[in-house]
Amino acid sequence: MDKKKKQLKRKVMIAAACAGVLVVLALLSGVIAPNDPYATNAALIRKGPSAAYLFGTDNLGRCVLSRVLVGARTTIAATFILVAISFVIGILVGMLCGFYGGIVDEVMMRIADLMLAFPQMVVAIAVAGILGGGLGGAMIALGITMWTSFARLARSHTLSIKNEPYIQAARLLGKSGPRILLIHIMPNILEPVLINALTQIGTTMIGISGLSFLGLGVVAPQAEWGSMINEARAYIQIAPWAVLFPAAATVITIIVFNYLGDAVMEYRKADQ
Amino acid sequence: MSEALLQIKQLNASYDGDTDVIRDVCFELTPGEIICIVGESGSGKSTLIKAIHGMSDLIISKGQILFDGRDLTHMKGNPRRELLGTEIGLIPQDPAASFNPIRRFDVQLKEALASHSRKDEGKAAEILEKMGMPDSRAVLHNRPFEVSGGMNQRIAIAAAMMFAPRLLLCDEATSALDVTTAGSVVDELLRIRKEQGTAILMVTHHLGIAKRMADQIGIMKNGKIVEYGNVRQIFEAPSHEYTRNLIRDVPRLKR
Amino acid sequence: MKKQIIKRIIELIIILIVLSFLTFLLMYLAPGDPAEKRLSSQGVAVTKEVLQAEQERMGLLRPFFVRYGEWFTGILRGDFGVSFKDDMPVSPKLVSGLKNTSILALASLILSLLVSVPLGILSAVKQNSILDHIVRILSFIGNALPNFLISVLLMYFFCIRLNLFPVVATGSVQGLCLPALSLAIPMAGRFTRQIRTETMEQLRQDYVTGLRVRGVREKDILIHNVFRNASGHIFTIVALQIGILMGGSVVIETIFRWPGIGKLVMDSINARDYPTIMGFVLIMGTIYVIINFLSDVLYHVLDPRV
Repeated sequence: MDKKKKQLKRKVMIAAACAGVLVVLALLSGVIAPNDPYATNAALIRKGPSAAYLFGTDNLGRCVLSRVLVGARTTIAATFILVAISFVIGILVGMLCGFYGGIVDEVMMRIADLMLAFPQMVVAIAVAGILGGGLGGAMIALGITMWTSFARLARSHTLSIKNEPYIQAARLLGKSGPRILLIHIMPNILEPVLINALTQIGTTMIGISGLSFLGLGVVAPQAEWGSMINEARAYIQIAPWAVLFPAAATVITIIVFNYLGDAVMEYRKADQ
Repeated sequence: MSEALLQIKQLNASYDGDTDVIRDVCFELTPGEIICIVGESGSGKSTLIKAIHGMSDLIISKGQILFDGRDLTHMKGNPRRELLGTEIGLIPQDPAASFNPIRRFDVQLKEALASHSRKDEGKAAEILEKMGMPDSRAVLHNRPFEVSGGMNQRIAIAAAMMFAPRLLLCDEATSALDVTTAGSVVDELLRIRKEQGTAILMVTHHLGIAKRMADQIGIMKNGKIVEYGNVRQIFEAPSHEYTRNLIRDVPRLKR
Repeated sequence: MKKQIIKRIIELIIILIVLSFLTFLLMYLAPGDPAEKRLSSQGVAVTKEVLQAEQERMGLLRPFFVRYGEWFTGILRGDFGVSFKDDMPVSPKLVSGLKNTSILALASLILSLLVSVPLGILSAVKQNSILDHIVRILSFIGNALPNFLISVLLMYFFCIRLNLFPVVATGSVQGLCLPALSLAIPMAGRFTRQIRTETMEQLRQDYVTGLRVRGVREKDILIHNVFRNASGHIFTIVALQIGILMGGSVVIETIFRWPGIGKLVMDSINARDYPTIMGFVLIMGTIYVIINFLSDVLYHVLDPRV
């Protein structure tokens, strides 16, 4: 048992290290990018990988490597911000609903139910489409349905602990509701909801780059993997590298974050 | 050499391959005999049953299990499957552990029969009727979750007896039931033994039940059989401190 | 049971009505003026008078609830209104798009289930074997692949490199292969993982040992008991995937120019053709809600305990 846990812990550490490297790369992308990701060069259109342009150039002569690096920042940052905002909204709504119950709870949970009735990507495409593109629009479009899963989870965990003796004790001591929520409930429900957030990163990333791919996310010329793949697929015959490198970057990033989510879940399960 | 139906020789078994849950267990069961192994929870008595039927992830680290002269210890696959049900029956502690909760009893019994290429579909109903359950065919039309625990347990007994096995393993077969139902299950087992000469190995934490049923009693503690003898020996001249405590704690049951 | 179903159906109807309202509200609140978009796309110089006349003609100036009521009653008659783009009725376009999308969705669903059901069960049964490890790695990777990426890569290798399939899949059977595959691969990854987990959960149940001790054949235990008991969950898993499938088909249809409802909606988004977009959202939402309702009912039938 202990051996298995150690193994799982190692798995989590490795996955976290990989994810950390990706995040650092994304953060430092402006510094490490060998060329200006937005500088076009008519003389260097669709050149294959070379020493100066490791990943080659696209049809405007821009450095694909630099764009992949800067694109990482766009995709990863957008994903993290979106998950974080949904997380905060979801956990607040869920905690308040679970703790206070009553009509507010009823209404909020009905709304959450309703949001679940819409298929997420369908809503996202329609909303992003109507908002007329832009990364912010894409994030709102995905966020509309996303907070609900956090809210439900936070609510059910709040419900299951709100009658624990130590919470009752705090109530009897006359501590105020917000104080109990913040000091006693929040720390106890944080972990499962955080883990849930972690497992959502991969799908969110797919969602964001999917919308960008459809032209409903970032606006050209901003570098983002989905939109890079979309732009470059038109001339994939001539310059496959302009598609393959951002594609590889997308897959690797999603795999790393999914793996991290899986590993943490497994570790957590073994813990119980 | 001997007429023993089941021989357990110096049996050691563990779940993790490391710490043995049962140690040096030895006894013999002759045809038609009833042995009760009595012990508290965690004493390893259920593990003993598992070791014999072999359908759990138990590791037998030492010793031997012989059934009718055949070595069961590490027998796997089809040979073991063909013995189970037909020659060796099991009545589990939890009736729910015996049937798929959402399929009809009769369908499941038919499946078990077919697995052993038998066809006598009325057999289980017949046994149930003998157990005093009228309209048993209609009962068997139900699914396990639709009937009571006692009913489930009786059907589990009928299912175990369907093939008239020579050895019946009972894993706390009465502990999930109320006193009256438990009593009738015990009577049932005694009747089966009388009519068919079935040997029964019963593990229980209930010394009273052992007293009522057993020919031989083994007292198990921490994975070891600390005392073994016939009912009179155990109750009248217990040699082990632990046995004496157990006897003292038995609630006075009416016979 | 019957009572519950009736209660659920009433709930369902309420959800659908609210769904239609939200859909309409969304379009109503949307930034950008469809009349202006239409005029400018026709190359008309947009003056205030022209714009107002056009807005009047398109019925954009009437009060919100009048417009919603008109739209909603129209839908009850199967009329989704008139396109802002070309003044043609929207319903026939939605219907023909839906037909093609259903073909694509069904093909990819069947394809992914054909792979994932046997693999998921097998890898659960042979847990920690080499096969299990391979299946787990493959399904993990499949799950991580966005379908737009798969389709671009498939297109590159099969259409351009190997020249085996047409690049544009205008509704032919041959053209169905790659789009269906693009949708099926990530779905198969998810299904396999979930079916494996569910099967393992069933195998852990006590009754499996009970049946084994009764000498029931392993094959019967797997097919008639483990898989049968898991099937309720598997239907739920499939029903939930339909939502992702709907989003995915928009992407895939756009890439392969498959004449489905997803491609229709992308064309409509670019033209700010709200009636078509509303029709799309409402139809997809309705199908999704109904499928999930049916899967719930089916779950009750398959596992009457709950």
